[in-house]
Amino acid sequence: MRLPPSPEERIDRSRTVTFFFEGEPIEAYAGDTIGSALFAAGRRVFSRSFKYHRPRGLLCCSGHCPNCLMQVDGAPSVRVCTAPVREGTRVRSQNVLGSLDRDLLAVVDKVGGPFTPVGFYYRTMIRPRRAWPYYERFLRRVAGLGTIDKHARRSSRFDTEHRRAEVLVIGGGPSGLDAARAAARDGRRVVLVDEGLALDAQLPREDGFETIAPARAIGIYEGGLVPVDAGDVLLRFRAERVVVASGAIEQPLLFPGNDLVGVLLPSAVRRLTRLWSLRPGERAVVITADDRGLAAAEDLRRAGTSVARVVDLRTTQPAQMAARGSHGRVRSVSVDGDSVDCDVLVMSGGSQPAYSLLAQAGARVEYDGTRGIFVPRDLPPHVEAVGSAAGEGARGAAAVPAASYRGTESGGRCFVCICEDVTDKDVKRAIAEGFDSIELAKRYTTVTMGPCQGRLCHLPSIRLYARETRAEEATIGTTTARPPWAPVRLGLLAGRGHEPAKRTSLHHRHKELGAQMMWTGEWRRPHSYGDVAAEVRAVHEGVGVIDVSTLGKLLVSGPDAVSFLERLYPNRFGDLKPGRIRYAVLGTDAGRIMDDGTIGRLSERDFYVTTTSTGAETVLAWFEWWNAVWGYDVSVDNVTGALAALNVAGPRSRALLARLTELDVSPDGFGYLDAREARVAGVPCLLLRIGFVGELGYELHFPSPYAEYLWDTLLERGADAGIRPFGLEPQRILRLEKAHVIVGQDTDSESNALDANMSWLVKFDKDDFVGKWALEHVRERGPRERLVGFEMANGTVPPEGGQIVVDGLPAGRVTSARWSDAVGKAIGLAWVPPALADEDSRIEIRVDGRLEPALVRLRPFFDPDDERLRA
Amino acid sequence: MSFLLSCPNCGPRDVNEFAYAGEVTSRPAERPSVRELATYVHFRRNVAGVQQEWWFHRFGCETWFRAERDTRTNAVLATEAAHAEPDGQAAPAEAAVPDVPAV
Amino acid sequence: MSRDFLAVELAPADGFEPRWRSPLERALRDAPPGIRDLSRTGKLHVHGDVGAPPGVEVVRVAPDRALVLCAAADVERVRGELGERVVDMSAALAGLEVRGERLMRRLADLDLDALPAAGAVAHVPATVLRDGDAFRIFFPQEYADHVGAVVLDAAAGLA
Ligand code: FES
Ligand SMILES: [Zn+2]
Repeated sequence: MRLPPSPEERIDRSRTVTFFFEGEPIEAYAGDTIGSALFAAGRRVFSRSFKYHRPRGLLCCSGHCPNCLMQVDGAPSVRVCTAPVREGTRVRSQNVLGSLDRDLLAVVDKVGGPFTPVGFYYRTMIRPRRAWPYYERFLRRVAGLGTIDKHARRSSRFDTEHRRAEVLVIGGGPSGLDAARAAARDGRRVVLVDEGLALDAQLPREDGFETIAPARAIGIYEGGLVPVDAGDVLLRFRAERVVVASGAIEQPLLFPGNDLVGVLLPSAVRRLTRLWSLRPGERAVVITADDRGLAAAEDLRRAGTSVARVVDLRTTQPAQMAARGSHGRVRSVSVDGDSVDCDVLVMSGGSQPAYSLLAQAGARVEYDGTRGIFVPRDLPPHVEAVGSAAGEGARGAAAVPAASYRGTESGGRCFVCICEDVTDKDVKRAIAEGFDSIELAKRYTTVTMGPCQGRLCHLPSIRLYARETRAEEATIGTTTARPPWAPVRLGLLAGRGHEPAKRTSLHHRHKELGAQMMWTGEWRRPHSYGDVAAEVRAVHEGVGVIDVSTLGKLLVSGPDAVSFLERLYPNRFGDLKPGRIRYAVLGTDAGRIMDDGTIGRLSERDFYVTTTSTGAETVLAWFEWWNAVWGYDVSVDNVTGALAALNVAGPRSRALLARLTELDVSPDGFGYLDAREARVAGVPCLLLRIGFVGELGYELHFPSPYAEYLWDTLLERGADAGIRPFGLEPQRILRLEKAHVIVGQDTDSESNALDANMSWLVKFDKDDFVGKWALEHVRERGPRERLVGFEMANGTVPPEGGQIVVDGLPAGRVTSARWSDAVGKAIGLAWVPPALADEDSRIEIRVDGRLEPALVRLRPFFDPDDERLRA
Repeated sequence: MSFLLSCPNCGPRDVNEFAYAGEVTSRPAERPSVRELATYVHFRRNVAGVQQEWWFHRFGCETWFRAERDTRTNAVLATEAAHAEPDGQAAPAEAAVPDVPAV
Repeated sequence: MSRDFLAVELAPADGFEPRWRSPLERALRDAPPGIRDLSRTGKLHVHGDVGAPPGVEVVRVAPDRALVLCAAADVERVRGELGERVVDMSAALAGLEVRGERLMRRLADLDLDALPAAGAVAHVPATVLRDGDAFRIFFPQEYADHVGAVVLDAAAGLA
């Protein structure tokens, strides 16, 4: 039932929209919100309260309170009083068992007793411990704010947009508009954002500044960052100046029955009557501490609601006040024993500046005792407040001496916080229990922690707290304001669902070949192509190829290249001849192993440095850092992505290569640890003869746009030699057979090069290198543990991370372990006490609670003399 | 964290474009005692107030610079490009050791 | 050694015909008009003072470093003209062009009035140049699939 049309109304009566509530079609006008349409259709109960499942109806109609939260098209906790109607939308109630009007869980409100006080589950549901899962399941069911459909697909597209403004004005009320106009006149680039709830349906679109609505600032962060929720786009504003014109929020009064359906704040009356031409009820009572209540009385009269009584708390000071209802709806109000029947009760406890954004930005908040409100003070630079957000014209219930009113008879709950169903009794009990700081009391009672985030309960709870503790509000302080200031969908914060991932130029080839891909750092790499054992065999017996494009690759050039590298690495490079390669380990000044790789000398002053796959960026930054301090004449270029890299390995790799290049690949022409430049299948390559996997092998580094071509060519031309691509898992077995170390797997943040058996590369006779002092110290003190190989006495493969046990105590750990077909044993690497780091030492490893025997091995398990590798 | 840092090359940028590398420390010029070494490698002042820090413009110009930042407010008071100082070596913090197998 | 192994522009040789493939080829297969693959642009890292030979664009990234852009066919010549401290990064960086400030603002936090600049685009390090409404973005090619997907997704959100 609507009132006769008015020029002010926001609905368009010529256009109807149909949506569904609990499956039933509801007719609405364009311009309605879901809330106004449901109200027009006769619905008064909009939700059930959080804990007691009490019926709740529209209270503020402004998106501030928890009373109209519903599931809208699957999204939980949507405030329907501000959500525009859309054709076909499906709306459901939430936190209800049964129906909104007959919620079976409302029994909680009736039984009361032990089930209800604050802190109840902290105290009660802790015993017996094993019963917690059942308690939890039960609690989740009865106390909730809607449900998330875990199987729902991404239904909206979310995005993030980066924006800049010289002046960002938050709030399009009169003061916000004034501020925007003034700044625009000063020639500033101004943007104004507004929630779009203002009474005047449309914000004026003005020249001189940009207006974005509906859009809601959800916080003010360091650096003038203001994220603005604009529906499906998060506008990430960087503003030089932020003007907060967020207005004021109407405050409730505390009296028994203050949560009954039909109890309204003045704004609800204004919006229902003016925007949607609805009559809030038949008979109203108004209790007010400011002029807003009086204005609401006017609105009610105009809408045809009779106003039975107006109590102006500025002139009358009742001692007792209570609302009574039936079936959760207000039926009468008694003030000092004088009872008046009504179905609408307007309460107005004044208005409180909406200071949260300012407090987040760093403003101090101070209680103004003469007005009974909190006002923002000491704003940070670049942030200012205007209008009622700054406290102008706002006025609280200072005139009202009682923080909360009592009813005449017992019964009737008086709610301090309707979101969390916290009553005045709960607050008093918390104080009696000793929660005497407001921050503690907040956490204990959960006042201000619900969906309204303190909009309606912060001020009243602090006033109540002050009265009960006989303190001044000003000395109690406030709780910390944290973003988000308004509810925001997680999807909007998450933005687009893309994580940066690195892919090699052969990624799609691997997928086509059926590789199972795995993460190594940011990279995607093939774990294997389905048959690990066969891939290992191909490398041992024929030829295999693995994509090692993920290796970090740096060019270090310049007259000081040798000095630079010799100061960074414990190795020596001055004696490395052009065309030769050396294994190198990078360390820190704490002596720890940071990364490893090979360094090839391309010319007198050019070096080609490889790093681990995950280490490229760290190593590059590390190089750049030291050089920023040392100032050597070198330049470092990261060519990781410029070059694809393939390791062609196996006894037949030489023959295969010979078909594709004119380079002399004979053992004498291209020996172990040699580097060469040559064309392979027409592609210019840097060829490195190194062998992480332990067989004769060549690393080909070449321009990445030719990766697919060269890969295809190798597979084609190597087909008769039985060439097979192999993945990371076969590579790990192959390198383990050679006891080759993987930095980050076999070493950790405590490992140093001496204990890891790499003392041969540490040149202590150099003047200085990073880590020299620490390694000297390690050398003097002697090793604390050593990295050794082991083979299991039986075939059990111990878990990586498994314990080495000596005399019943943990004494070391397994870092790698695999079954090796070639060795015919389970083999691995482990850190053990130095006393056990001898060939044939017996160690014990804990596997599934048992101790399994193993023998220490100091030489490679396979081809111990590197004959195959150097072939 | 959303404060801005002014890269000496690129100007003010969101902190997320940078890598933080800790307080500016001082690398001993001579061979240190074990205690001096431990102090240099492990001990940080961790002040509540203004401190000198190393930053790297990771997503931008890939340049190291020093910043003076108030750790209480995240206000960045000054930034300055790194320059060579062969003697009193200001040293970086420990580099992160990769926590995933690095092959 | 000559570092020829960084060169991208190849002539068929020894009976082989190497096929070049753009890192963005797959990602941009269904790209709407206005999004172009620029991966074949010549790109050189130059250390030290940089002159500007004819036909090139110079983006000064730091006082002693620049990214020089030129036509693919000119890389060899420009490399020669720029002196010794030059590294061919043509293969290292993928490149694409997008149109519209709005789209660009959904990809990067950069000040679009202060380009060219180096900074994060789609959460990866990039260099961005602007010509009116067109933006050229160069970034490490290993992110090509990722950046391509983000650009298409963001563009679809504005369509
Ligand atoms: S009635 Fe919708 S938020 Fe208060
Ligand atoms: Zn920078």
